[in-house]
Amino acid sequence: MINNKLKKTYTINELKGAFLFLLPLILFLLLFILIPIVGTFITSGFRDVSFLEKKFIFFDNYKTLFSDSVFWHDFGFTVVFVIVSVSLEMLLGISFALLLNQYLPFRGLLRAVVLIPWAIPVAISARIWELIYNYHYGLANYLIMQLGISKEPINWLGTNIGAFFALVLSDAWKTTPFVTIILLTGLQAIPKEIHNQAKVDRAHFFQRFYKITLPLLKPVIVVALLFRTIDGLRIFDLIYVLTHGGPGGSTSSISLYGYKYFLSGDFGYGSAISVSLFIVAFALSLLYIKIGRFGKEIL
Amino acid sequence: MVNKNIVLLIVCITVGFVGCEKKETNVITFSVGGAPNEIVVWEKLISEFEVQTGIKVNILRQPTDTDQRRQGLVIALKAKKSNPDVFLMDVAWLGQFAASDWLEPLDTYVKEKDIELDSFFTKVINLADKYKGNLIALPVYIDAGLLYYRKDLLNKHGIKNPPRTWKELLNYSIKIQKSERENAPNFYGFVWQGAQYEGLICNFIEFAGSNGGGILIKDGKVLINSPENRESLEFMKDLITKYQISPPNTFTEMKEEEVRMFFQQGNALFERNWPYAWKLHQSEDSPVKNKIGISSLPHFNSGKSVSTLGGWHIGISKYSDAKLQAMEFIGFVTSARIQKKLTLELGWNPARKDIYLDKDILQKLPYFRELRDVFENAYPRPNLPFYTQISEVIQKYINSVLAGTVEISKGLKETDIKLQKVVETYDK
Repeated sequence: MINNKLKKTYTINELKGAFLFLLPLILFLLLFILIPIVGTFITSGFRDVSFLEKKFIFFDNYKTLFSDSVFWHDFGFTVVFVIVSVSLEMLLGISFALLLNQYLPFRGLLRAVVLIPWAIPVAISARIWELIYNYHYGLANYLIMQLGISKEPINWLGTNIGAFFALVLSDAWKTTPFVTIILLTGLQAIPKEIHNQAKVDRAHFFQRFYKITLPLLKPVIVVALLFRTIDGLRIFDLIYVLTHGGPGGSTSSISLYGYKYFLSGDFGYGSAISVSLFIVAFALSLLYIKIGRFGKEIL
Repeated sequence: MVNKNIVLLIVCITVGFVGCEKKETNVITFSVGGAPNEIVVWEKLISEFEVQTGIKVNILRQPTDTDQRRQGLVIALKAKKSNPDVFLMDVAWLGQFAASDWLEPLDTYVKEKDIELDSFFTKVINLADKYKGNLIALPVYIDAGLLYYRKDLLNKHGIKNPPRTWKELLNYSIKIQKSERENAPNFYGFVWQGAQYEGLICNFIEFAGSNGGGILIKDGKVLINSPENRESLEFMKDLITKYQISPPNTFTEMKEEEVRMFFQQGNALFERNWPYAWKLHQSEDSPVKNKIGISSLPHFNSGKSVSTLGGWHIGISKYSDAKLQAMEFIGFVTSARIQKKLTLELGWNPARKDIYLDKDILQKLPYFRELRDVFENAYPRPNLPFYTQISEVIQKYINSVLAGTVEISKGLKETDIKLQKVVETYDK
């Protein structure tokens, strides 16, 4: 179907040229994405423990996974973390994007400044947040005590809820700029005429936002959601540095759980954990692509 | 037109990617991580070794973080790479590496090279470096938990000796913390490692071991849910919540370095830490310089003091293509002369017993006399291939108990069930 359509639109030579240009990308995807994924699938079918004999065990790793309460806890944590942090990031991202789309003094500078958190590697920003939350000399405790909100310092990372929101906040600080920039490009693609016309019709700000901006922004929002969701599902570095899954394993994510198995030499079970994460991410991607109706307009 | 030069370039790049396998055998690759000053010392030692033997040593530099150093080695060994030939390992992974058949047995080499195993701490060699009767590594330096105390503050309150029992530690802490708080509101009695990581296990073994408890796994049976362990765990929790002589962030942020800095800033009376902290506490700009002492850790009334054995060991990869040269290097590193050098330059604790009585060493590091006894009685963690899985489970539950999210008897019961499962899965 698609092939016929392509042949109708382009000449053979054009198609050849296009393929040649795509070849490096295809090779890259094969070598670094497809082969490792298939490899992980295969490994997950084995009892592949470095200190035990390697044995093919079909789906036994997955059977163990289904009854592994720690896995389900970490799975649940990851999903809740994604929902809360991505919602927060989208909300903040849209607000910032709308703001930066206005005529502001130093708009160029502001747009650059907003990007700074995104430019800092996660491991480093996690260290910065670690210092902010520090019980003895952290900024957070300094502020609440100076402002008289609390007399005693708070052990931010010491309770399940506290550690969870500490992570969400750090993640939002780091990735909201990414959402902002993507949405900003989307906002700029909306022709001003439409807004002007609506103004003539006396549509107020919220009406224009819901009836014009939001529908036209939808494809870009879906892209931002897609990136953030997948990125959030595989959360590892922030947790590794900030809480290391603590207190008592309450903030451990699927990636962190899988990593621990690779470290201890159980590659089979670790792979099964990775595959489970892949399946969830893949299913969500398909869902988003369907919602975003990508590809329909192109052909 | 395809240019000849482009073809050449592509060939070069391909060969560059694939052709890293070395061919010469008079070259060994040594994988080592650590603080920058440690790497500098290694580089010096290596150039001396190269001159002495004519064997070239390439350093494969690793991060400081223990988990990341391990990750780098696991990947290379799992892929059966001939590099690195020789590397340092934390005592806690020796079981896994040996059981995975990644380590070359050293027995014959050691005999040929006339390395006297008797000059090392016997317990360390037997409990950590031997696997199924074979010698699979040699200790480069060892560690054990110690109690650091503020001499000046104890004297000020008329206390002559450091505490022998936990009860004494508790009483001294409560008393001195109360009076010190008048000037320093941030002062605490006792700091130790309670964050969710390997160090928590080491601390737990010391508390529980000094009460006759501990982690016992033998013949597929787990013994952790014992009254001794329950009492120890309760004491650990009480230090934070009931007596409040340990800071509330003990179970979230307190790892070696956090504890070390807290004590070094003068904010604590007692500290549990590894021997490395001594040199830093005594450095020029340290507020506690010359105000501290060390002793073995306290114990419960009925038990005796226990220190968890730590430290790093050197071994040879089974896949090395230069095992003889690698052994030459191990012989060099573990020799008395180099061990003494490492001690003098880095303050490391050698596994060779005689160095603790060496005149030069005692002159520079007078506390070494006391250390010898501590090391002689250091207590290893279970030397099992699946120790990591065991550690993960225990870390999680002890940390939950300290955080107050899981109740003590329930925590121990669940640890027991989970450990039993780990043993069933991996003990084959």
